[in-house]
Formats: sequence, structure tokens, C-alpha cells
Amino acid sequence: MSQTPQSLRAEADALSGALPPLLADAERLAANVAMGAHGRRRAGSGESFWQYRHAMPGDNLASIDWRRSAQGDALFIREREWEASQTVGFWVDPSKAMAYHSAKNPPKGDRAKVLALACASLLSRAGERVSLLDTPAARPGFGQGKLQQMAVALAAKEPRPDYGALPMPKGVRGGHRVFISDFMGDEADIFPALHAHAEAGNDGALVHVLDPSEEAFPFDGRIIFESMGGLIDFETRRAKALRDAYQARLEARADQLKSWAHRAGWHYLRHNTGTAPQAALLWLFNVLGVDR
Amino acid sequence: MIGFLSPVVLLGLLALPLLWWLLRAVPPAPSRRRFPGVRLLLGLKDPESTPDHTPWWLLLLRLSALAAAIIAFAEPVLNPRGQLAGEGRLLVLMDGGWASAPDWRARLARVEDILASTKRPVALHLLTDQPPAEADLGFTAAQDLSPIISALTPAPYAPDRAGFAAWLGNNPQPDFDTIWLSDGMNDAAPLASALQAQGSLTVVTGLEPALSLLPARLEGEILVTPVHRVAGGPARRVPLLAIGPAPDGVEQVLWRSEASFAAGETDTTAAFDMPFELRNRIKRIALAEGTSAGGVVLADSGLIRRKVALYTPRDSQEGPQLVDPLFYLKKALEPSSQVIRGTLDELLLAVPDVMILADVAELPSEEATRVQAWVEAGGTLLRFAGPRLAAASSGIGAQDPLLPVRLRAGGRQLGGAMTWATPKTLRPFPDESPFAGLLPPAEVEISAQVLAQPGPDLSGKVMAALEDGTPLVSAARLGEGRIVLFHVTANAEWSNLPLSQLFVDMLTRLSVSARGGAAAAEELAGQNWLNVRALDGFGTLTDADPSVAVPGEVLATGPRDAATPPGYYQSFEREVAVNLLRAETLPVPLFGLPAGVAFEGFENQPETPLKPPFLLAALLLLSLDILASLFISGRLSGGVQVALVLLLVGGGEPGVAQEDARALLAANNTVLAYVLTGDSRIDEISRTGLFGLSRTLTQRTSIEPLDPISIDIERDDISLIPFLYWPVSDQQPPLSPAAVNKVNTYFRNGGLILFDTRDAQLGAGSINGNALQRLTAQLEIPPLAPIEPDHVLTRSFYLLEVFPGRWEKGTLWVEAPSRLTTIEGAPFRNLNDGVTPVVIGANDFASAWALSPQGRPLYPVGQGLRGERQRELANRFGVNLLMYVMTGNYKSDQVHVPALLERLGQ
Repeated sequence: MSQTPQSLRAEADALSGALPPLLADAERLAANVAMGAHGRRRAGSGESFWQYRHAMPGDNLASIDWRRSAQGDALFIREREWEASQTVGFWVDPSKAMAYHSAKNPPKGDRAKVLALACASLLSRAGERVSLLDTPAARPGFGQGKLQQMAVALAAKEPRPDYGALPMPKGVRGGHRVFISDFMGDEADIFPALHAHAEAGNDGALVHVLDPSEEAFPFDGRIIFESMGGLIDFETRRAKALRDAYQARLEARADQLKSWAHRAGWHYLRHNTGTAPQAALLWLFNVLGVDR
Repeated sequence: MIGFLSPVVLLGLLALPLLWWLLRAVPPAPSRRRFPGVRLLLGLKDPESTPDHTPWWLLLLRLSALAAAIIAFAEPVLNPRGQLAGEGRLLVLMDGGWASAPDWRARLARVEDILASTKRPVALHLLTDQPPAEADLGFTAAQDLSPIISALTPAPYAPDRAGFAAWLGNNPQPDFDTIWLSDGMNDAAPLASALQAQGSLTVVTGLEPALSLLPARLEGEILVTPVHRVAGGPARRVPLLAIGPAPDGVEQVLWRSEASFAAGETDTTAAFDMPFELRNRIKRIALAEGTSAGGVVLADSGLIRRKVALYTPRDSQEGPQLVDPLFYLKKALEPSSQVIRGTLDELLLAVPDVMILADVAELPSEEATRVQAWVEAGGTLLRFAGPRLAAASSGIGAQDPLLPVRLRAGGRQLGGAMTWATPKTLRPFPDESPFAGLLPPAEVEISAQVLAQPGPDLSGKVMAALEDGTPLVSAARLGEGRIVLFHVTANAEWSNLPLSQLFVDMLTRLSVSARGGAAAAEELAGQNWLNVRALDGFGTLTDADPSVAVPGEVLATGPRDAATPPGYYQSFEREVAVNLLRAETLPVPLFGLPAGVAFEGFENQPETPLKPPFLLAALLLLSLDILASLFISGRLSGGVQVALVLLLVGGGEPGVAQEDARALLAANNTVLAYVLTGDSRIDEISRTGLFGLSRTLTQRTSIEPLDPISIDIERDDISLIPFLYWPVSDQQPPLSPAAVNKVNTYFRNGGLILFDTRDAQLGAGSINGNALQRLTAQLEIPPLAPIEPDHVLTRSFYLLEVFPGRWEKGTLWVEAPSRLTTIEGAPFRNLNDGVTPVVIGANDFASAWALSPQGRPLYPVGQGLRGERQRELANRFGVNLLMYVMTGNYKSDQVHVPALLERLGQ
């Protein structure tokens, strides 16, 4: 062990220092939207009562609900709701671009992480299994421990690229995928991976998180724009004149994503960090829950 | 008119076009900005219209900043001082009379200007001064004259132009030019032509000529002051003040009035319709603005309507009117005085100026004592003889103190059926008599008189005598006042004196009746007058040197000059006010200037350097340029722009906001406050003391004050603060009237101030006690008394018997109880809602209360445990005091509680 107890402790403190706010934000957000565990709205092997039905020949005697049956002549069977758990894999763009924010708005990355954790929390309460793709928390699981693990993975500081590349699917087929990113990267980093996920039988949602200034482009004058990592730069003498062209390109990327989602049966949401996250979470949760 | 001290620097302006070209070429530096969307920008082309150089307005801004700097360093001045044209000697002539006084400073400034702008030999002469004794005007270098200019003052009379012209005629001078600062009044012809004979003449006029006042006169009950201006002009209102002593002797403005000139009018009047008592106090009437000796009229006794008491003996019977001894007196006095009649009691209550007893032999001894006291206090007792006095004097052995001379029994008859003697006429009045100058008419004859007992001092008491030398009027001083006896009756029984004008004149001379208007020439005539107080040119009264007597004729008719300035003149008992102007000496506009005279105005604008404003402008433009550059390069975000605009627009707001914050703090919370004394050590004790008290209150009671605030009693609003701690320091300056007003309002509205002299002893002796008296002299502090053992302060929270602070001996003073009532045997204090506005102590309470932020006492109190007990008691006093401040006499009402409960039970 190269780590002394002191350094371990300091690291743990630093880690958990970032963790509670993130998790707490997510929990608070989730509480606003929580609807409790959502059943599958069909009889199954769950815990909760679904309906009574007349006993049919072939039914197990033990499954007869004698209390109900004693009220009349017919025998009733108490059916329970089917509560199959599903796996929802989240991917939150870890790139530096996500650290961008303008003025009073939160960084895109923070918003993305909060959305992912909140949604995971809701799903976990509903009995679904959640995972964080492409991270140490990629193994599906549920419960507070899993959420903690996801939060740790999200808060991890590691060398990150300027722009995020979507992970390719591995192993498990089926299940839901949620990709939260600004989708500013190269097309080659985005669409092949999406195709692969769709082909792997996953369905899911794309959450396109943008900063208000990225949508409005409120710049003017002589400016050298740099990517967050400083790898790319671009100089203009009159930024204002570029606004229309920029916005056209941004819309094109959004349309591209949207039409892809439409074709693949996925869902697409464009989210602005200038607006409240509740609506996005509600949308995300509904999209994942209503399906099937 | 703008000139430059270093015009060479202006050549720098030529470099501006070069700068224009240079600046145009340099585009603004780019800013760097991190932006993830840069990826989407890649490959985009800047549109063609992109400006690649500085915008024109920014260029203009920079160029004007530079131009302003260049101009600033060329040192521009407004109204540069030019050199006076001409060669040779220069005489600066000032009128220097009273009419120059209102704008004397402007005149002096003009003279200074002239002296500063010439290198010619200059002489300065005031026309009110005597012409030089030598035949030489004393031309000298201009800078030698500069020091004496500020010492020049205007004279309280008119300039003697003719005199100077005559002197010039008698003492031929080498040629000189003249600049004559004229007051714009009266004849200029002889002097102007004399000066023109010497060289060029420039007359400086243009200031508005001074206003002049004429002596006030009474019209009925209204005092009317004529106001005159030399030239008609637009309609104008002129405020006037009537000034006189207040009851405490300090001169103050008694009344204000206004004279309004219609357009083109030169004469108007101002009316003072004021109460009789107030009017009698007027000492002078003056213009409120632009005063000068001519703008002040002095009032003497002429304006005073005296209160004359005519005593009617109780046993006076009804009689024919024309033989009533008082009838002629009434006729003589009533037009000009306030005549009151009645019993002696009533008369003395009215405090008359003069009391007249006509043929009253002897007053009852008690009344005589009171009258004597009144005379000694300054009254004038005027007595007339008559049959009763003549009869009574037969039995008098000792001299009656209310008679100026001892009288011989019986009197004498001069003329009539039973005597050989013929009625006597009057001897001319001696020079030292107050009647000097009056001419006794030949037809006044005395047929009976009472006679004075001859004695060594008799001749000194005689003011008027008959042709045989027997006294007609005798007088003697008694204390501050005097007693005058006419040896004849006040009616026509013994003489025909009361029928003549002489009688009225004599009464006037005795200051019994008022004339109204200026002292008439004939009154002044025949006496020598001493100037006791004189007006200076500005219309201010100063003590004069009363060494040279001036004959009355000169005063009455001659012009005012250095020997006879306006002022108060005295002769014997009488003091008259001699004013500068009479109706026949009113000034007229300047006339008689010959052709060829140059005129100049008084526009006298001082040289103003313009360098600072130009530099400031350059600096401002440069800072604007910084902002503009930031704006151009897009480094000013919207928020900063708004903030900058707000800063530029609302720069003055923070102070008000701070004041508001203070008021809000005081209004929304309970705060204790202390008055700043100017001594930082005392202020610190006050602050920590109130901090400690606030903490004690928070711990023990439901009063939970915030941290104490300091009050500058002159500036801060105290209306929202319930309690002020005011340590007394002799360094604190007396309160301004505004502050006095504020504190009095505070008292009236229920505020409470704890004055603390901090010296353990109250009273006259101590420094702080005196400081307290000085500070509070004008405050409405009710009568105070040492605190009673049953005062509410002793039981508003804790039960207290002593009120220590750092000291324990000092007495605590509160408002004296107005009355004590007893309810069911217990004393019950029933005060006017009970709350004293001030508590005055000497125990240095703040030191005992003071706590550090950690809650430790800061200053030692007493010794050991006893000291701690004393500190605790001091804290309890503080708690009680604040409870008292907050709840007033609530605890006093608690006495009723048993009774109320009992009543409720039934």
C-alpha cells in the first residue's frame, strides 16, 4: 500500500465532499418527480396486489385467497402485479466541453450528472437496475449503494478529452440506454456508436444538453474562440456576423440527432441549462417508464 | 476671453492628423474566449463588411482626449489680465462715500485690477478724504499701493468733489490721466472738468446706485420710512429691517417690512405697522441688503411714544373742565404720547415713563415710598405747583424727597388786585439748561408761583427762571430718575404758560412728549452737541470720540462731513439721532459730466485658469476610451455594462442609501445609541458600554437590542431611537439651533436622554458640569430633582435603591415630580404620563456596563467582590432604565393592581 492512511482519508474526504451535493441534488430533483415504484400494470410475480380473479381449474390451491372467497360462493385467486426489473444504462459525457457554462448558468456537465443520478434514483426506487456505462459503475444494480457508486464514478476526475465520444455497446443486449451529452463532438464519435446500440436491441433516449450562450451565440467583436481544452481555436473579427451560420450548424446537428432518434425508435430531448431540470427529468422518466 | 500662457504647446495639435492615421490602422486587440461551440464555427468565413479598423467615434474620442491634454498644458486662462492702455501718470479716484459702501468689495477689486494691470505711476485718492496737505498727489509704483487697498473703508458722508476740484485748481499738477470710480450720484461737473484739464478721464460707473432712507415718521400708529433711489428703474421690492434691543438687551430684528418701487418711481415708503411696545424699542431702521450709512436711519426718542401717567388724587372733585389742572397737560400730551390716568396703584402697575402730579401736596407715605422707588428705577416725575402744594409746604420741615427743592411756605402772588408787583416774564434760558435755545415769548407771564428755599445747591437745580431770578422750573436727580417741578400750575390759573407753544416745547425738551420725525432744526439750535456714537460708511454704529462739541445749527443744516458724521449726539439729558440724509439732501443721478469722458463698466471678472478642467476632461475621455475599447473588443458583458451605466447615472445614491439603511435599522429593530462627543476615547467607552448593556438586556429581558449605533447630534436623525446615552465632555461644541430644535422635538415625542457627566459629582464646580450646563442651556429640560425613592426607575425591573456606575456617589437627577398623591396610604406618583425626558447622572455608567466582544468587563469598577456587586447594580440600573424607556410609567400603574383585582372579583 503506497497510500498512507492520511492521504487515503484526504482523498476520501475530497471524494465524498463532492459526492453529497451531487447526490443530494439528484435526490431532491427525484423527490419532485417521484411517483413511487411504478408497476408494470399487469399481473405478475411482484409483491403488490394487482387484482382478484375467479379461480380456474388448474390453479394452485395455495394461491386461493380464502378471505376474499369467504365473502361469497366463488373462489378467488389473488393476483400480484408483475414487477420485472429492467436495466437502464446511463452515459454522461465526461468531456471538458461539458464543463462550459455561461454567466449564472450551471455547467452542462453538472446538469447532465444531476439528471442522470436523479433518474437513476427514481428508477432504482422503482426496482429497476441502473448502471453507468463506460465507468467502474457499469455493472447494473440498484439501491443506495449503487447510486453511491455511480456518484463516485461521476465525480471522478480523470484526464478527459475535449469532446466526448459515445461508448460502444458491450456484452449485455437489450435494456435501455440514456445518453446525456452536448453532442458537439465529431459525427464519427457519435453516430456509429448510436447505430451499434440500436442494433444491440437497446432503446433509449438522447438528452442534448446545451448552454443558453451556445444556443444564442451572444458574442461580438474580435474574438479568438478556443475549445475547452484549447486544442481547437478559431478567430473572427466580428463574431456577431457568424451567429446565423453558427446557429444553422447547431440546428443541423440537433435535427440530425432528432431524426436519427425518430428512425431508431429512440427519444430525443433538447435541454437548456438555463431552464429548470424537473421538466427534463419528468420527460426522461416517462420515456423510460411508459415504454413497453 | 481666453488666453494661453504657453501658446507654443498648442503646436502639438498639428500632430493630431498623424495620430488619426496611426490609430486608424491599428485594429482593436482580440479577446480569447473558451467556447465548446467552436467546433461548429470551424470553416466559417467572416463576412465582407467586417470593420478592420477602429470605429470613427472611438478615434474621435481619443483625439479629443489628446487635444484636451495639449490644450491643458498650454495653460489657458479665462479673462486674461490685459495691460492698461496709455502712458504717464495715472490717478485712481474713488468717491468713497456712503453710496459706495454696498458694493465696496467690487470697487476695491476693480482698483486692485487696475493696479495689477499697469506699470504706470499711480496715485490713489478717496474724495471723502481731505485733499493732500502737500501740493502733490504722491504718484508711486502700483505695487506699493496694493497693500493699503484692503484697509480702505467708505466714509459715512458724501464725497467732497468740489473741494478736490478746488484743490486741483490751487495746486497745479503735471498732467495725469484719471480713472474715477463713481458712485453714480450728484454733480460731477466741476471735478470732471478739472480732471479733464489734466488728461484723459475715465469714469467707472454701472453698479446700481445705493438706496437711501430718510428718517422715519409716525403716521398715526404706523411708522413710515421713506425710501429713495436716485434713478427710476424697473419695479423693485426692497426689504427693510427695524432693529432694536430684545428684552434681554441684545439687539435683534424686531420687525420686517418692504418698500416697493413701481417702475420708474424714485421715492416710496415702507410702513412698519407694529405693536406700540415693540416700536418703542426700535433703535434703527436699515435696508436688509446693501446697507450703507445712507441706508440706515437712526431712531431716537422721537419715535418713542412715551407712556405718561396723569395722577388724579382720589378726592378730586368734579370741577369745570378748563380749571382742571390736568386739562392742558392732556391737550399737550395726547397727540404724541400714550396718556393713562388712574389711581396710583394702577399707574405704577403700568410702568409709565413719566408720571405727572399736578398740584398734589403730599402722597400717603406708603405710596410715596413706591413712587420714590419707581423714580429711582429711572422714572421721570413731573410735578406742578398749585394752591394745595403752596399751602402744604408751610408745614414742611424736612425736604420732601419727591420735590427737587425745598419750598417756602405760601408762595407768592405777582400781580392781581391785592399786590403791587406785576406779573413776571421769563428770563432767557441759560445755556446749560435743557431749554436752551427756546425763545420765551414775551406774552408769557407768571402771576403766581411757589418759591424755593434759597440754598447753596439751588442754582444748580434751576432749569428756568423768572426775570427776577426766582425759579420757574427746578429739577433734581433721584437715583436713575429725576424729579422736575414747575413752580406754577398746570392750568392757566397762575400763569399763561400752559397756553403757549413754549409749554409744549418745554415738555418735549424734558423728553416727556414725542415729536415724531427727525429732530427739528430749532430743537438742535442753540446747544452744543457731542457725538457719542457714529455710523461708519457701512451703516454700523461705532463708539465715537465725544471730544468736540458741534453747534446745533451746524448739525441741523450743514452737510455731514468728517466732523459731523451721522450718529447719536448728546447734550445734557437729551440724545438725538442725527441722520445722514434729509429730504433736501437726497442724492440725484450723476450729472454734469462734460463731453470726452470715457466710460467703463464694473464688469470685473477675475482671471480663471482653465488648466484643471481641461486636464480633467482629458482624463475623463481617456477612461471613457478604456470602456469603449473594452466594449468594442466584446470584453464588457451585459451585466458590467448595466452596472457601469448605473454607476454613471446614479453615482450619488449610496450616501442616501446608507442614511436609509440606518433609519431602517433603527426602525425595524431596537438599537441603543450614543452621542459622539468628538473624543474618540469617550466614544469608545460609550460604544462598548452600550454594547455591554445591549448584551445584558438580551440575556435578562425581552429587550433584545442590536449593536449600538453612534449619533452625530448635528447631522443624524434621532427620531427613531428610543434612548440616547450622552456622555458630557467639555470638548463638545455647543449645539446649533437646528440640533437644539431636533433634541427638543425628541424630548416632546417621548425620547429619553441619559446625560452622564462621568465625574461622580454634579453641580457648578466641575468642568463637565459646566459643559453640561452649556450644552443643555437651550434645551427644554423640565425642572429636575434628585430621584425619589419611589420613582418608577427604582422598580421597573429590579428593585433598586442606588444607581451606581463606575462611581457610586453621584446623585441621579430626573424630572421633578409635579405632585404627589396618596392612594390608600401609599404614596403614588402621578406624573404627566410620568416619563422624564432626561436622566442626569455622574457615575460614568458606560464604563461599568462596558463589555468586550467576548463578554468580559473592560473597565475596573470598585474593588474585589464589592466592585463586582457594584457592577451588577450598575447593570441592573441599565436594565431598569431601558425598561423605563420602553414601558414608561407602566410599572407605576402596577400600584393599582390589587385594587383592580379586588374590583374584578366583585
